[in-house]
Amino acid sequence: MQKANPDRQRRHRFDRLVGVFHQDMYRYAAWLSRDKAIAEDVVQEALLRAWKSLDALRDDAAAKPWLLTIVRRENARYFERRRLETVDIDNLTASQAALLAQEPDEDLNDMRAAIYALDDDYREPLVLQVLMGFSTNEIAEQMGLKQGAVLTRLHRARAMLKEVMDDETAA
Amino acid sequence: MNCEEYREAIAADPSFDGGAGHLTGCAVCQEYRSEMVALEDRISRALMLEVPDIEMPALPEIETANVVAMAGRRRVSAPAWFAMAATVLLAAVLGVRLVNTGIEYDSLAEEVLAHLQHEPYALRVSDTPVSEQRLQSVVSRDVAQMDHSAGLITYAQTCVIHGHEVPHLVIQGEKGPVTILLMPEEMISDALPVIDENTEGVILPVGSGSIAILGQRGERLENIERSVLNSVMWST
Repeated sequence: MQKANPDRQRRHRFDRLVGVFHQDMYRYAAWLSRDKAIAEDVVQEALLRAWKSLDALRDDAAAKPWLLTIVRRENARYFERRRLETVDIDNLTASQAALLAQEPDEDLNDMRAAIYALDDDYREPLVLQVLMGFSTNEIAEQMGLKQGAVLTRLHRARAMLKEVMDDETAA
Repeated sequence: MNCEEYREAIAADPSFDGGAGHLTGCAVCQEYRSEMVALEDRISRALMLEVPDIEMPALPEIETANVVAMAGRRRVSAPAWFAMAATVLLAAVLGVRLVNTGIEYDSLAEEVLAHLQHEPYALRVSDTPVSEQRLQSVVSRDVAQMDHSAGLITYAQTCVIHGHEVPHLVIQGEKGPVTILLMPEEMISDALPVIDENTEGVILPVGSGSIAILGQRGERLENIERSVLNSVMWST
């Protein structure tokens, strides 16, 4: 019975962290993969990997970037395995289209499609900044970029979205 | 700072507070800033995808826990069939749990403490206040009215506590950052102390809701509690 307590504590710690961060993990995976089904697979793989390496996380205060890094790597592994082709927004699979499920708010649908169409290099830092609340320094660390490159990508991402949405409004 | 520099900065981060000197005298950049803040709100809403129930994968037993527990004693190998059966049993018990329902907090205090781990970057020492727009967008007028008199507010984000979206603010205290959670829908009858290894604070009943105020252990929270209570008024 000696090992019951450490196991339970470990499991409790894992549940606590996952309970707090699973929504962020899913949304990050969804915007990286642009596919609902793939995002769920990636999160499952990430949870398994996080469970196995939980003891490497010394400080729970760093859990969020730690978990998101695992999601990012699992997403990359998934695409390495599948060697999927670039997504064509006019020819989506059901699972890809599900991510862009129509909401009653047309403006929201337009913006979601515009973000979906952004190149990975622009979409990811935007997701990390707006959705995950990362600073540009943290984004740079997560993506292995210099801060200046992150700032440029964020600036261009918003400029592209603004242009698309202005066109939608004008049309 | 010229127009181009200002616009690049605001497009890279719409909460950018610098360039006040330029902004004051440039109506075009003022308009651009307003447009970017509005765009940011649309981006933020669009990114908030609905999250499905995610099934927890079957988690294997971790050997390291055994090693620690059995330290100093010679480990006797169990038969292979026993290890397999134990793994299958563990998977059967744990594997069916959904992530969404895997966590049930025993109390509001426990959920509030767990939430502090959610945004560790919020707990930074800083002397840069969030902008008035940011504060107002997070502390929506539908939730509460709040001004800057509570203290130096360096972080503002909308978060989810107990299934409700609530404003999560950080004020700089004497020992470091102090977390404030405005919870208009969490009614409590008495003040609840909140303590863990590194954190202490209180959840205070305020009208039909409550406000959590948490700092590092040893932080003097009385003055902050007073100023927060004076600066917040529920809208409902």
